[in-house]
Amino acid sequence: MPVADGRIVPSLLVLSLFVAAACVPFAARRVGRELGYWLAGLFVLAALALVPAGARALDRDPVTSSIDWVPSLGFSVGLRLDALSVLFSALVLVLGAVIFAYTARYLSPSSRHGRLYAQLTFFAASMLGLVVAGDAVVLLVFWELTSVASFLLIGGSGGPEASRAARRALLVTSGGGLALLAAVVLLVVVVGSADLATIVAHADRVRASPAFPAIAILLLLAVATKSALFPFHFWLPGAMVAPTPVSAYLHSATMVKAGIYLLLRTVPLFEGVHAWDVALVLVGLTTAVFGASTAIRQYDLKALLAYSTVSQLGLLAALAGVGTQKAVLATSAHVVAHALYKATLFMVVGIVEREAGSRDIRELSGLRRVMPLAAVATGLAGLSMAGIPPLAGFVSKEEAFAAFIDIPGGGWLPLVAGVMAVGASALTFAYGWRIFEGAFGGPVVQRLYEPDRSFLAPALLTSAAGLVLGLAIGVLDPLARAVTVEAVGARDYHLALWHGLTPALGMSATTIVLGAALVLARHRLEGRLGRRRPRVDGASIFEAAYARAVRAGAWIGRSAATNAPGPYLGAVLAATLGAAMLAGWWWGDDLGLGPRVGGPARDWPVALLLAPAVAVVVAARDRIAAVAALGLVGFALALLYALIGAPDLAITQVLVETLTVALVVLVFRRLPRRFSVVRPARAVVAGAIAAGVGVLAAVGTDALTGRRGPSEVARYYLRAAQPEAGGRNVVNTILVDFRALDTMGEIAVLALAGLGAIGLVTAVRSRRAP
Amino acid sequence: MSAIAVVVGVLAAGGTYLILQRGVVRIALGFVLLGHAVNVVLLASGGLQERGVPIVGASSDPADPLPQAFVLTAIVIAFGMTAFLLALAFRAGELFGLDDTEGAIPPDERVDRDLDEAEPDGNVRGGSETQVPGSEEDP
Repeated sequence: MPVADGRIVPSLLVLSLFVAAACVPFAARRVGRELGYWLAGLFVLAALALVPAGARALDRDPVTSSIDWVPSLGFSVGLRLDALSVLFSALVLVLGAVIFAYTARYLSPSSRHGRLYAQLTFFAASMLGLVVAGDAVVLLVFWELTSVASFLLIGGSGGPEASRAARRALLVTSGGGLALLAAVVLLVVVVGSADLATIVAHADRVRASPAFPAIAILLLLAVATKSALFPFHFWLPGAMVAPTPVSAYLHSATMVKAGIYLLLRTVPLFEGVHAWDVALVLVGLTTAVFGASTAIRQYDLKALLAYSTVSQLGLLAALAGVGTQKAVLATSAHVVAHALYKATLFMVVGIVEREAGSRDIRELSGLRRVMPLAAVATGLAGLSMAGIPPLAGFVSKEEAFAAFIDIPGGGWLPLVAGVMAVGASALTFAYGWRIFEGAFGGPVVQRLYEPDRSFLAPALLTSAAGLVLGLAIGVLDPLARAVTVEAVGARDYHLALWHGLTPALGMSATTIVLGAALVLARHRLEGRLGRRRPRVDGASIFEAAYARAVRAGAWIGRSAATNAPGPYLGAVLAATLGAAMLAGWWWGDDLGLGPRVGGPARDWPVALLLAPAVAVVVAARDRIAAVAALGLVGFALALLYALIGAPDLAITQVLVETLTVALVVLVFRRLPRRFSVVRPARAVVAGAIAAGVGVLAAVGTDALTGRRGPSEVARYYLRAAQPEAGGRNVVNTILVDFRALDTMGEIAVLALAGLGAIGLVTAVRSRRAP
Repeated sequence: MSAIAVVVGVLAAGGTYLILQRGVVRIALGFVLLGHAVNVVLLASGGLQERGVPIVGASSDPADPLPQAFVLTAIVIAFGMTAFLLALAFRAGELFGLDDTEGAIPPDERVDRDLDEAEPDGNVRGGSETQVPGSEEDP
């Protein structure tokens, strides 16, 4: 029984969060912004519900459940809670609770905020689904759902800039989603199963397959877009138009870490693949240095934090790409440390913006005197970010240094990685100082008061957690080591605040010294850096490419969608003509046409009667003359039908011809007596196409008909008409008996055409009525 | 070349020329001619050696009845289409006094403008909400 042994818990949690998201708008109508506290409570309960299953997962007993979805393709809705899932689930749920508690005070008390709460809950449900997915296809679905949630939350803040930012984020991340889809398909083809554990267990088969380079590149694309790695980083700073809780939750702590999660999940696939290490280290650390050096130039605190997140994501991606025991351990620790300090900083910036009315460090000053508690939270988070002992950020960063200088394969990579990591971290130290000094340093310029304690509490909580976790890093150690065991199968290395006098400690010290030097030289650097603004950035390149794509689409659309049927039909007919002529020239001799069967030329009089009549229809400028000639054509055909043994057709043709003439005369009451003049150019082009079509039709008819005797089906109908349908007129029995459904369809078409015609005619008449 | 093939060719050529014109009435006429051409091809495909009426016991060499059944259906459906095209021409004639398909203004807008001028009370009827292709630009 899955219920009894708790296997159902993860799926039940994901499901209940989606249900909660659906109920939120109704609840918001009653309780307004206070709903945040209710949701925070729900998330805490959800986290507690995961504890038993999580404890089992840490004992290398992952909780799995699976329902067949598409058995023929081997897909199932499989959920799997192992240590890595526990780590990220805890992040999603616990941080979610904190953010919801913060949102309850961040939002204005007046309105209901149902949409924001619903979308945030929907995101949390999707993110939880993503990290507990045991099946690659399920993971992909939730991966895309988080992109959609991010799009909604960015765009929901309103305004054209928000729409553009949301569109950029969606197109970049869902483009990566397509890459992930392709990677998943290749993996399923190679391994024969979509189950993530099975895929990872067959890592050697994946590495041996010819598709492996493609899989690696596609996964890298998925990771780089989702986790905002260079050169796809540009959507993340744009996403900062979203409300602060969204930035803190999706765009620093959880969603952007989905790429890191994917890297950790696939560590065994790339075991011993040096090129993968090189690619991830270079992409990741380039992003880290680029993000940090851009962050340090920002005046808008939120933009600064966005580039800081880009930088930290680069560091994490490089670590997860290296995928050694130390690296995975460091990634696990840094994911948590970063989430804690970055969420704190975002929350404080949101508070400052609400209280002081700005988040520009050129306008803010001296807030430490009026908001001491906010300053404490910022200080703690900043110290953790800068990597100062004994905070959590110090531990995780030092573990990262240790992992970088131990990259297997040796050569230049450890040295380059170490230098870049120290450089990025020194810049991080410097912009950490910039945040604190910018908002909280200097003289008091605004008379402000500490915000409500309930508004500050979530930020104080996360910043304190960063301190406690640093001192008691052992708390995180079992989880981080369980993740490491799953990924690389080794568990002899531990997270620790003090590893002794190691090279990594020297790197930490270098970072702090370099960072301090940067801080001291900041005024001189600012003068130089501030003037150098990048001429192009990713967002403007993206927008230009997007505008071009839209224009190209409109251009293609215009050529295919027209109000003028003439040129449109002309092009289609000319192309068909060309194709038919090519085909005739190419295959004409291979048709194997039989000899012509008999055929007296009794029909020539009809042709001689018909040809001049058609000429008059075509050439007449007088409408009445054209219609009279059309009638003549119809009667000539009726004659032909009578000659070839089709009396029913002859009768029908005469009737229809009469009705057509009557209709045309009705129409002519409203139109000029004469047709308008055809311009010579049109006459020439249309005449050429018409001549081609005519010759082709004649040659085709001559070549492809009259070369066999009566067909089998003709003999069948002639034989079966009387015994089976009880009629002697074979054509009639076919129409009303053998193929009665066709006739019903014909009647329906006729009825519809009639209704349409009535609509058109009466609409005009009613307009003329007074 | 048989007379039937010439009939098909002449009808197809005349019909093609007419559907490439601007006026809805001429397009409708062209449509009728093209319909005739296709009908004759269908009949020819059954073979035209046996020319007796396909009525049991009426002739010793009955013609193929299946193409005849198809063509009977086709004549009626072509008539329905013709009626609809002519109704379009009729309405165009009512609104503009002309059945041109290639005016400078897209037809839908012309309808809008015409209705606005004719009916100051703004009683706009269906058919004018259609999006004009190509007019949709990115904001």
